[in-house]
This record gives sequence, C-alpha cells and structure tokens, in this order.
Amino acid sequence: MKREGKKKGKKGLGVAYCTLIYLFLFLPIAVVAVNSFNASTTKPYLSWKGFTLDWYVRLFDNHTLLSAFGNTMLIALTSTLLSTVIGTLGAVGMYRYKFRGKKTVDALLYIPVVIPEIVLGIALLTLFSRTGIPRGLFTLILAHTTFCIPFVIFNVRARLAGYDYSVEEASMDLGAGRVQTFLRITLPVLVPGIGGGALLAFTLSIDDVIISYFTNGQVSTFPLKVMESIKSGVSPDVNALSVLILIGTIALVAVTQSGLFQKKRN
Amino acid sequence: MKKRMCAGLVILSAMLSMTGCGSSGGSGDAGELNVFIWTEYVPDSVVEAFEEETGIQVNISTYSSNEDMLAKVKSETAGAYDIVQPSDYMVEQMASQDMLLKLDTDRLENLDNIGEAYRNPSYDPEGKYAVPYMGGVAAIAVNTDMIQTEVTSYADLFTDEFRNSLVVLDDYRAVIGMAARSIGLSMNETDPDKLEQIKEQTLKLKNNIKLYDSDSPKSALIAGDCSAGVCWSAEIALAMEENPAIEIVFPKEGPYIFMDNWCITKDAKNVDAAYQFIDYMLRAETAQKVSEEFPYLQPNTAAMDLLGEDYSSNPAKNVPQDVIASGEYVQNLDPDTLAIYDSIWTELKK
Amino acid sequence: MKAEKRNLAAALPMVGPVTLWLLFFVALPLLFVAVISFCSIDQNYNVQFQFTLENYRRLLDASYIQIYAQSFLIAALTTVICIFLGYPFAFLIARTFPKRKALLYMLVIIPFWTNSLIRIYGWRTFLGTNGWLNSLLQTLHLVDTPIDFLFRQGTTVLGMVYCLFPFMVLPLYTAIEKLDQSLMEASSDLGAKGPVTFFRVVLPLTASGIFSGSIMVFIPCLGFFYVSDILGGGNADVIGNLIERQFQSGNNWPLGAALSIILILITLLLVKLYQKCGGSMESLGV
Repeated sequence: MKREGKKKGKKGLGVAYCTLIYLFLFLPIAVVAVNSFNASTTKPYLSWKGFTLDWYVRLFDNHTLLSAFGNTMLIALTSTLLSTVIGTLGAVGMYRYKFRGKKTVDALLYIPVVIPEIVLGIALLTLFSRTGIPRGLFTLILAHTTFCIPFVIFNVRARLAGYDYSVEEASMDLGAGRVQTFLRITLPVLVPGIGGGALLAFTLSIDDVIISYFTNGQVSTFPLKVMESIKSGVSPDVNALSVLILIGTIALVAVTQSGLFQKKRN
Repeated sequence: MKKRMCAGLVILSAMLSMTGCGSSGGSGDAGELNVFIWTEYVPDSVVEAFEEETGIQVNISTYSSNEDMLAKVKSETAGAYDIVQPSDYMVEQMASQDMLLKLDTDRLENLDNIGEAYRNPSYDPEGKYAVPYMGGVAAIAVNTDMIQTEVTSYADLFTDEFRNSLVVLDDYRAVIGMAARSIGLSMNETDPDKLEQIKEQTLKLKNNIKLYDSDSPKSALIAGDCSAGVCWSAEIALAMEENPAIEIVFPKEGPYIFMDNWCITKDAKNVDAAYQFIDYMLRAETAQKVSEEFPYLQPNTAAMDLLGEDYSSNPAKNVPQDVIASGEYVQNLDPDTLAIYDSIWTELKK
Repeated sequence: MKAEKRNLAAALPMVGPVTLWLLFFVALPLLFVAVISFCSIDQNYNVQFQFTLENYRRLLDASYIQIYAQSFLIAALTTVICIFLGYPFAFLIARTFPKRKALLYMLVIIPFWTNSLIRIYGWRTFLGTNGWLNSLLQTLHLVDTPIDFLFRQGTTVLGMVYCLFPFMVLPLYTAIEKLDQSLMEASSDLGAKGPVTFFRVVLPLTASGIFSGSIMVFIPCLGFFYVSDILGGGNADVIGNLIERQFQSGNNWPLGAALSIILILITLLLVKLYQKCGGSMESLGV
C-alpha cells in the first residue's frame, strides 16, 4: 500500500515534469498563434490591437510570401527526389561492392552531417561563386540535395543491415537480370528505409535557413522570408501561414496515426 | 512514427505549394527587373504599383548594410542585379571598381524633381552614376519616460547611466564613427594612434549596448526593450509616432550623415526597365508615398511640396540643413585601416 | 563477407553518382575554402591568389580568441542543460509512461514542424521588456519594474537549448529504451539503493546516448548564428557569426575561410574524442 502511494506520487511528479517540458516546447508556438490574430497593422506588430481573422484571408493576397512558399516546396520535392535516387543507389552499391576509395566516400558522407551548417553554406557559396554558376533555384536544389544525401543513405543502410543476399542470388540463378533483380527483389525490401530517408530529407529541406541563406541568389524561400520579416517585425500573415502549416500537419498526423494503431492491433 | 508524420507533411505541403505556385504566375511580358535595396526603405505598395503600370516583374532582394550589398553583388554572377541602392561612399567605391553604369540622364524625365543642392554630390561630382533617393543622419533617440537626464551629444551615451540600455546600428562604420566623433575625431581616421584612442572610447560602449539592429531599431525602442539609441533619423520619426515619449536628439558633435542613391549596375540585363523604375521613383507622387511610409530626408523637392508643412517642419523627418552641415559622411578607407576597424568591432562584440 | 568483388562496370552506376556528387559538392567546395584561407585580398576586397598566413595570424588576436571561448561556453552550457533536462524526460517517456510512449515522443517532434526562426522570434516576443512574461510578473506583483531578459548570453543559451533539445532527447530515448528492465531489478534485488543502481548500472549503459546527444548539440551551437542574432542581440556572438560577417559585411572571404577551417578542425577533434569514448558514427545520423 505504502509503496503504491509512493509510486503514485512519483508518477505525479513525472507528469508535472513532462508537462513543464512540453510547455517549454510549445510556448513560442502559442505566441506565434496568438500574434496571427493580432489586428495591429503597423510594424513591428508588437502591441495587441484586438482580435481579427483578417490575416488568414489577406495571406492569400501576399504573392511574395506565397511564391516563396511555393519555391520551398519545389526545392524540397526536387532535392528529395534527387537525393533519394542517388542515396539509395549509393547505399546499396556501397554495401555490395568493394572498391578503391570507398573509405573516402564514407568519410565524405559524414561531413555534411557533422560540421556546422554554416561551413557547408559558405563552401558551396565559394564553389558557385568561383565557378560562375548563377545563384538561384538551381543552386538551392544542388545545395539541399547535398545535405540530404547522407540522411537517405543512413536510413537505407540501416535497412540493409538485416538483408539476406541469398534471395538475390536465387533470383539471378532463376535467370533474372541484374536490373530486374534490383527492381523486383532488392528495392521492395528497402522501401521502408528509402521512405524514411526521403521524408527526413524533405523535412530538413523545408526548414533549412543557413545553407539557403548563402546559396539563394534572388530566390526567396519561406524560411528566408521569415528571416527577412524578423528584421522589421514578423507580420501577422507570416504567423498565420505558420499556424496553417502546423494545423494541417497535426490533422494529417492524427489521421495517419490512427491508421498506424489499427495496423498494430492486427 | 516519425515517418508517418512526415508523410502527412508531404501531402499538406504539396497541396499548399500548388496554391503558392498558382498564384505566383502573374508576371507580365515586359520582362523582369532585379532590384537590390535596403530593408525597410521602399514600400511594397510602390513596387506593386510600378509592376501594375508597366507589366514589368520586379524581384526585390534586401540588404542591411552597404558592405553586405557589395559582397553579394560581387559574389553573384555579372548582371544578377539590375538596380542597387548604395550610400554615398559606396557609390564612389563601386564606381571606382567599375561596377556601375554611366547614366544617360536624358532618359530620366523626372530628374528635375531633385533639388539643386542634391545634384552633383561630392561622392559623384558629375552626377554620372547616382540618382539621390533619400538620406538622413544617425541621430540619438531617447525615451524620456525611462531616461531623465538631458542628452545633447554622442558623448553623453558613453556614461554609466546608459548601462545595458542602448540600441545601436549593427554597422561598424556607424558605431566606431560615433565613438570617434564623441572625442572630437573624424569618422574616417587612419592614423594608428588616433585609432587606438577611438578603440578605447568604442569599448566604453560595450556595457551600454543592449542590442545591435540596423534593420528596425525602432522596434526595440517602441517595445521598450531599449531606452535610448543611435538610429537612422526616420526610424526615430516612426518610433516617435508610436510612442510620444521618444524624442530625437541631434548630437552636438555633428552626426553621421548619409545619402542613398539609385544606381544601375554595369552588367544590368534589363537597362530599359531599370531606367523606367528609377524614373518612376523620381515622380513626385511616388516619392511622396515613399516618404509617408519611411520619413527620411527627401531630396525630391516636388515631393516635398506635396508632403506639406507637417513633414517639412518635423526635424526627425526633414532633418535641418545646419545639422547636415555639421555632420560627416563615411569615406572609403584602405583595407589595412579597415582591418583595424574590423578588429575594434570584433573586440566590441565579443 | 558476402560483399562480392565485382568488376567496376557493375559498381559504377550505383556508387558513381554519389561519389561524384560528394566530390563536387562536398570535397571540392571545402578544398576551395582551404585554398582561399591562404589567399589575400586586394584594395577592392577581391580575393587574390597570393599565399599568406596573415588570415591565420589574425585569428590569434585576443578578441577572436575570446569569441571562441564565448562560443565554447555557450555550447557547453547548452549541452549540459540539454542533458539535465533531457535525461529525466527521455527516461519518463521511455519507462514510466510506456503506454503513451508513441504520443509523448511525437509531441516532442511536433513543434519542429513550425519554422525554427519564427519560434525563436516567439521567444523574443515572450521575453521582451513589455512582453508576455514581464506583463504576467507585473500583474502578479512579483516584480515592480520589468526584468531585462533579452539580448544576453543566457537568452542565447535558452534559444540554443530550445532548438537542439530534440537532438539530445532522441539518442537518450533510444539508449534508455534498450535498457533491460531485469538488470535494474537484479541490481535492486541485490540490495542496491536507487542512486547506486542508477550510477552503477543505468548510467553506464545509457552513456552512449549521452555522448551522441552531446555531439549533436555541441557542434551545431558553434555555428548557429541566427539564434545569437535574434536573442543575443549581437552581444553573444558565436564562431558562426564571425564567419557570416566576413562573408557578408566584412567582405573578407579569406579571413572567413580561415575561420571555417578552424571550425572544421574543432569539429574533427570533437568527433575523434567522441569515437575515443566509444561512440559510433552511425548513431549520429538522427
């Protein structure tokens, strides 16, 4: 009995602690959400001028903001696709073949993951500037693909760790070609790893500030737009778009989550 | 788990991106114009009106200091920007590096709107490269609710009373220049001994500076985060409108003065549109709209007539000529001297 | 073992693209940076290919060294705070509330679906002189005059902790989840008290999580220039701010390049140290 009471008390303490941590994590989001309803129309939009839903409507008239968001999506989708293809091929190839310089490639993979982003940012800026490649969507896609590739490879590699090669050999013995074997046998096994890597790449790309900051040219992305607006006071429509993105995500997560739990029960 | 959530986000963002792309496709056939300007300096509404009138699509990028702009223009491929907006000394520097186009003033019908006093300035004596946009001074802002003593000079800001309370420009020439003027030296000293004195004086500010902000120092003043500061005059004018307790003080040592300009880059891809844009900005009505949003010293005399008494009699907006006359422009210095300025700055910000 | 030695023709289409990509967009750019760090600038701030060690000499100036020290202090504080906040938290999610594990874990990640800059700016609004927190404190009559929270080193640390907290929690969570419950039971059955069990059994077994979490928090801190810009107000610069300044307003790429090389060396050193402590590279990939 006594022990149970003590346990309960401990659990209560745990609940309190976790609540505090979540409060810490969600507090700035609450600020963002509240400010998206601020009727203030003068920079820096700090004083509370009453409640309005206006910004959620006016947001759709702000073409520069929307096109920056469009750019972000375009860059994220393209660099995710590129990094997934290159990364998956690379992960399988590196797992299967021994070749000269494999250690070097392996080491190069860790560089974008470990070094502070700013170093990769200025290094790519130097490269593009010295070789005369005009900065813009193209360089942003190149840069984003670069920091996404390692994450795809790590995810696929984790999946490969338990992979049984004999299936492939069997397939080849039965007369299937190398490409056919890869597409029919290897790829399906790797799908969860590839998917995980691709999704991680996508999320890294849409929130990237530092590397985009050095490689963007005149093209703006949503995070860069936010950075710019922070300079003069974040306007409520930027807050509104952030809230919409968050709500949409949570809603979709909720839907996919419930699907996941059902699967588990089976 | 994480993967599932990612999936959700992908779908959502794909949907949103379609709206984004769909609404951004309104560009006309009259070409594109890449304009590189200061933050908080050209109203969006003015640019949109220009786009509507001409069908030219204007791509705006912004910068926070002349040096930022120079770095970005240099690192980009030639012709990445059609129009830039350098201050006085930067016009001189860019012209000497052959980065600017010699202007054909016949193509600027509204150039006559610029007052005589602003034509052929010292940094561009023949008026070859630059068309004046707006100017001002780095003045002192004081929140009289929070600061009781009287402030008359830059030197007053170096006292203990301002401990951890100043917002200053995040611009090394401005801050070091102000320290120099507070001890009676020039903002453009090159003599190592004098620079040593300036360094000592600058470092006295360390404990007084709470925030470095070039883009919108008014925010910290209005929010009450900082009780005084050194900011661009129009920023103070705007802060005064939001909070009547804020006052502008022109330092008796004579302030840092500046004049910003429209220039076309040497390798501009769309020179015709660039002339059109500058000429549009020179219109009295446009300049009036600009000044209403960003009340700097307006060299466009035709616009001044439209702006009226309220504007011309407000010293924070229409900085008095004697203040300008007492001030000093930033000059270009050699890299070795600038390296000293840079080390003073690093020491201040550590 | 099974990896077959095939001819190059078979391997090339698979490992070729990734190798080329990494060579072009990782190795080559870093080589450029290394070369430029030994160059000088001319009168017009253009990079000149004239060998000099001047850039590295300038990095030894006292003011630079103080900023490195400040960076390390900020990064170390951030890491320590993340460990102390994150360890009990990860433990609670993984062990105490096993049924809600999935939901709780997800709640850590959800905030990161909102743009990181705007959340940092949210802190600035919250902590301002007339911000939410000061208003609350004044309404409750806990303070008379507003407290200066903003634009200090401490605020920068708060921002860094906020941004990097999940990178500490995730590896800790993984390590703690792997713990065998029976080990702890065995320990307490053998008469060990709670703290003894923790320090002798639990902590050593989860140390790997602490190590990889620390690496993933400490290193990004050195480069996060925007956090110290927004919350530190320019009073708490890290090495990242120095690099950014030289590539932007400073117009001195060689100096910025030299700073970057120093930052790379620091990173390599820390990673070597991490490997010495038995950390595996695999657990760094999120």
